[in-house]
Amino acid sequence: MSATGHRVARRLLLGGAQTAAVVLLVFAATEALPGDAAVALAGDQPDPARIEAVRAAMHLDRPPLERLLVWTAGLLHGDLGVSLTSGRPVAAALADGFGPTLLLAVPTVLLLVPAGIGLGVLAARREGGAVDRVVSAVLLSLYAVPEFALGALLVTVFALRLGWFPPTAVGYGTELASHPAALVLPVLALLARPVCSLARLVRAGMLDSLASPYVAQARRCGLSRTRVRYAHALPNALAPAAQQLARTVDWLLCGVVVVEALFVVPGLGTVLMNAVAERDLPTVQGLAVVFGLVTVLLNLGADLVTHRLAPRTEVAA
Amino acid sequence: MAVAVARSRRGLKRIVVGRPGGAARGRGARRFAPGLLVVGVPLLIALAGPLFAGDAGPRGTSLTTGAGHPLGTDFTGRDVFREVLLGGRSVVTVALAATALTYAVALPVGFVCALTRRAWLEEVLMRPLDVLLAVPSLLVVLLVATAVQPGPARLATVVALVGIPDAARIVRAAGAEAASRPAVEALRMQGEGWVRLALGYVGRAVARPLAADIGVRLTGAVYLVATAAFLGVGVAPDAADWAVMVDRNRTGLSVQPWATVVPALLIVALTMGGNLLVDAALARPHRPEKNR
Repeated sequence: MSATGHRVARRLLLGGAQTAAVVLLVFAATEALPGDAAVALAGDQPDPARIEAVRAAMHLDRPPLERLLVWTAGLLHGDLGVSLTSGRPVAAALADGFGPTLLLAVPTVLLLVPAGIGLGVLAARREGGAVDRVVSAVLLSLYAVPEFALGALLVTVFALRLGWFPPTAVGYGTELASHPAALVLPVLALLARPVCSLARLVRAGMLDSLASPYVAQARRCGLSRTRVRYAHALPNALAPAAQQLARTVDWLLCGVVVVEALFVVPGLGTVLMNAVAERDLPTVQGLAVVFGLVTVLLNLGADLVTHRLAPRTEVAA
Repeated sequence: MAVAVARSRRGLKRIVVGRPGGAARGRGARRFAPGLLVVGVPLLIALAGPLFAGDAGPRGTSLTTGAGHPLGTDFTGRDVFREVLLGGRSVVTVALAATALTYAVALPVGFVCALTRRAWLEEVLMRPLDVLLAVPSLLVVLLVATAVQPGPARLATVVALVGIPDAARIVRAAGAEAASRPAVEALRMQGEGWVRLALGYVGRAVARPLAADIGVRLTGAVYLVATAAFLGVGVAPDAADWAVMVDRNRTGLSVQPWATVVPALLIVALTMGGNLLVDAALARPHRPEKNR
């Protein structure tokens, strides 16, 4: 038990270090600006007033260490800084984009787990069988395809040729929730990669479990196939999948940015890309900290869950 | 395509039982065929396309089909066929450069960690990389893009940096497994030097898994570079680049689908084929039958 506690403590420590790394890395972006940061950010309108405004907004006249401390203290209070272009707090922009992104993310995550596990179990029912070959081929093929290319093809086929769904979310604005048809293609494009990776892991885990001595023993005891498969083999197959679930969050974050750009959904990804286009560094930094911390926390959670599911396996850092 | 792999694999399994010697060679070559076929078309266009592109003709009307242009015109009235021929090079070269750079760092770091007897050295090299694993990759690219507007060289560097933690971990894991074999102990006792040990034995032992991992990195780099280009990072807004073409021409998708669909299909084929190749490389040629 003390070994377990030790390992959990180490993992928590790593989580803390990762949090600090995200904050430092995001802060370092200001230092990476070439020459005078204020001049670099003023960009297209380099008049002295604008440069002064940027300098004041980002406290660039103070030493970096002091700025880091002030910025970190602000983060602890939920103050993410002030946008250079609109002058609004970054937290407000974040709140604006939160709804549409949640509308994309919630169905995606809700479908991801059953679809991934379902496909993995389905393929593992008979290794090398027709179902396994077809499912595995599709999973392998879609695994590395960028969302924007897949999304563009989905739009061409299902929105323009067949006319089943609207091609973009343009015109729905804040009432996106009442037009579920507009969400089908974005969610599909977003789901493709994570589902494939999850299902492949579940399939591999199920094949390993089904070939193990304890499953053979369970069969010898006369337990039904269903019970062996779902009550004995599946829980052990889920441990690596739980970890992968957190890794796919990285993909979902990337995916949300791309899918929102492709389908013109006014969510966090759009806010982020607009800020990147306008070189609004404080907004990008604020969003990056939030995205980064969400990833760190989910990875931490997944590793702890994995540890519960399969205590004997080493918890990957 | 992969259905064909599975099918041929299954068919060949029967042959292997009958004539082990001759079939193993044929199987090795045929395993890679579907992946090579799928990845070959976009790769050939990307590398050889610019040689056949010819001069830019006069600009026509935006987003039309036909009229002397085999694939129509794009959003600025350029010939889509010529843009397609030119547009693969940037994605492929940036991804290749990024992967080469990732491995140039990850390989020595991973090897030193795998072979060293000093635990502190391993901790010093690997712990910082563990910490960086949790940072979302596209976020780093976007953050850098805001601070310094990157060109292809900078984009390759950033994509390479993003890949280093994971690659170093895999090199270390593969190397550590090979370095703990009795053969290495024997070589050490014979007083073989570090270089011969690292390159002569461990390097050769891990070449195969690392070749597959380089494929994984390359597909990942293509994904990241293409996605960044689609979002307008590291490329000119009217660049001849497949990802930029998908982004800029999709407004005219209903009138001129070719300008979007052809580059999108090429990117899909590039990543899909790369993945099939990696999977074929990872499937061990002499896997014993599972006794189930």
